[in-house]
Amino acid sequence: MIKVEIIRDPVKLFTINDDRKEDGAELVFNGRVRNMERGKEIIALEYEQYEGMAELELKEIAQRTCKKFPIKDLFCRHRIGIINVGEISLHVVIWSKHRREGLEAMNWFISELKKHVPIWKWAIMIDNTRVPSECKH
Amino acid sequence: MMKVNVKCFSQVQYALGQTELLVELENGSKASDLEKLIRIRAKGKLDDVSLRVAINKNYVNEDTELKDSDEVAFIPPVQGG
Repeated sequence: MIKVEIIRDPVKLFTINDDRKEDGAELVFNGRVRNMERGKEIIALEYEQYEGMAELELKEIAQRTCKKFPIKDLFCRHRIGIINVGEISLHVVIWSKHRREGLEAMNWFISELKKHVPIWKWAIMIDNTRVPSECKH
Repeated sequence: MMKVNVKCFSQVQYALGQTELLVELENGSKASDLEKLIRIRAKGKLDDVSLRVAINKNYVNEDTELKDSDEVAFIPPVQGG
């Protein structure tokens, strides 16, 4: 199953329990806002999306990931709006039978997300100025 | 003539100082024609920025012909995650 959400509120983690009997690997990735931008300290990042298109692209990439790798379930929450340093911006959980395909799927999914999903970052500097982020990682 | 709505994000928004704008074009204009206009309006601020084009929320080729009322976005390098 694929679950993809773009949200404005702080990220709540997906429920993880002991009900899965066929999956030997459970991968959880949390992307958090770092405190530096262009070598300068920041207080937050503001994530901007192309509303409508961002969620469509994210869903399409999740579907491609599940076709490319032998995984059944991929859950993703991407937060937008102002996110303070240290908070979660991206939360992904992938379940797979074995760890290798899960790890590869996670890496591929996040790489594709960073290439195609129309979401951008603005850095909120210490003096409260707002500039486009130059981060390409 | 036709009118298209251009959505501006990130570096494009920063360069133009606008979140969206209405642009009038000759019938038969392509996305690449509109991109040239946008780059001229940006007065050099987008010279080093590669842009992909989306029409009505789908990535398309720059040779795609525009239609009246299309929603067009020139997408600078994305940064999700």
